[in-house]
Amino acid sequence: MKFRAKIVDGACLNHFTRISNMIAKLAKTCTLRISPDKLNFILCDKLANGGVSMWCELEQENFFSEFQMEGLSAENNEIYLELTSENLSRALKTAHNARALKIKLTNKHFPCLTVSVELFSMSSSSRIATHDIPIKVIPRKLWKDLQEPMVPDPDVSIYLPVLKTMKSVVEKMKNISSHLIIEANLDGELNLKIETELVRVTTHFKDLGNPPLASESTSQDRNPGHMAEVHIDIRKLLQFLAGQQVNPTKALCNIVTNKMVHFDLLHEDVSLQYFIPALS
Amino acid sequence: MAAMLKCVMSGSQAKVFGKAVQALSRISDQLWLDPSKKGLALRSVNSSRSAYGCVLFSPVFFQHYQWSALVKMNENEHETTLNLKCQLGMKSILPIFRCLNSLERNIEKCKIFTRSDKCKVVIQFFYRHDFSNAVYSEMFVGSDDFDFFQIGMDTEITFCFKELKGILTFSEATHAPISIYFDFPGKPLALSIDDMLVEANFILATLADEPSRASSPQSPCLSQKRKRSDLIKKKAGKNVTGQTLECISRKAAPRRIYPKETLTNISALENSGSPGMKRANGDISEVSESSVSNTEEVPGSLCLRKYDAEKNLMEVMPNISVLSDIEQYPPLPRQEFGVE
Repeated sequence: MKFRAKIVDGACLNHFTRISNMIAKLAKTCTLRISPDKLNFILCDKLANGGVSMWCELEQENFFSEFQMEGLSAENNEIYLELTSENLSRALKTAHNARALKIKLTNKHFPCLTVSVELFSMSSSSRIATHDIPIKVIPRKLWKDLQEPMVPDPDVSIYLPVLKTMKSVVEKMKNISSHLIIEANLDGELNLKIETELVRVTTHFKDLGNPPLASESTSQDRNPGHMAEVHIDIRKLLQFLAGQQVNPTKALCNIVTNKMVHFDLLHEDVSLQYFIPALS
Repeated sequence: MAAMLKCVMSGSQAKVFGKAVQALSRISDQLWLDPSKKGLALRSVNSSRSAYGCVLFSPVFFQHYQWSALVKMNENEHETTLNLKCQLGMKSILPIFRCLNSLERNIEKCKIFTRSDKCKVVIQFFYRHDFSNAVYSEMFVGSDDFDFFQIGMDTEITFCFKELKGILTFSEATHAPISIYFDFPGKPLALSIDDMLVEANFILATLADEPSRASSPQSPCLSQKRKRSDLIKKKAGKNVTGQTLECISRKAAPRRIYPKETLTNISALENSGSPGMKRANGDISEVSESSVSNTEEVPGSLCLRKYDAEKNLMEVMPNISVLSDIEQYPPLPRQEFGVE
């Protein structure tokens, strides 16, 4: 297995760093999947994660000026690595305003992802900072659990309001209740509701807009004002929102009544999907 | 015989202990440690005497609990028992018990020790070694990046990065160049800022070589300006081991523990410090302010030197154990610069 990649463009480097920071906020440990065209940061819906799953995808040619990989085998030309997300984001912290960034798979006493940052310096030579991030290679037999999650047909699909606003609302709600109801309809309305014995609080977002539905027939049957709702753990929603430091280019929310909420975001050219299951 | 307290607890016990300290800190800025056979009591009372808190940890709470009181015979042949009366400022102890979740996860053991005749409380954390998740970082700085670079022989020293970071942050503010003096492992590392307006000296201990490795220096060769070496190895990652733990222990009250001679040695160091030393070594090109990099690890402008045996700065250095007391000495006489 081999992997070597290089970023020389400053904007690409900063974008990659931001993505890494976001992943570090969303998942303590995650899987990095390397394939010839893409990089994925994956969190699968294990019980350990509370059923939350994440699928982040970026096209390697949008970032790397050089990209070489050799997967497990010719038929399975992919590499799956497990790493602590924060290790990568901390290493990339030193790459701010760097001349170049190199990432490669190495074996220094144990398998590592070596991040090499070439910094500008006053002299002719460059300053180089190297970080060896320990990783675990994930065996082939576990790859089936790390595939892109199937997105079921949502009952409602709606554009999200400004995430910062959502986050501050949910932060306050977290002090009152541990679970929250997220509901939305095809009239561009989204509500966040919490309810306890003593108090009920609802925050209404209006005029959000709905993307065109996949199948025409369902939209004709449905009363557009009808709310599709799902009860979720408020902390999982908060963790997702806390990870979005920058407002995304596009943010969509898909609700499958009483089953799950699926967030579909686009940060420039990087897509992020985040699935929160309904509380049983 | 003195009154004393010695107790040991695990990471999760330390978390509970820390929570008690935090709760009592809401009452007052002072914390009393009061050991007895019933256990260790933490007490706090506010200045207006309107709130009082006491948390008693029984001896079985700890992995190890040992205490003694001072027993005195007075004139009437009556025994009086004087328990340890230990009062700490919350300001000193609270920062130690700050990140309790990380404490629970990373600490193997926490030891607390104090004696009535010592005027200090020693709190030691022993971290778990979790190498499977440690990130190893290395930075290479070429000799061209320095205003002056003179290394006698390839050297590798290990010291506390956290302390270095603080010094570098300060030097950024002064815009003055820093000189670094170091020797073989075990000898202290000195960082020195010396310009018209400010003079600062920081001395850090370095890890000594293991006895098995030969540490006898070969004959030093001077003026190898172009010699490149990996200068500083920093271990990044969450876990801290060994020497750096010493940074965590705090003193209850400042106290001069060491005799006056040591002060003289430090004065000798200061006075024979940067200006004198620089002159002895010939001309140093005027160091210009260098732009400070954004990255955490990159220093401003560094000047490194290794001295030959006679002028070895490190030989006038006092015993490493006194390093923690340096801040407690009265300020040393400064040279007058004739500034209005």
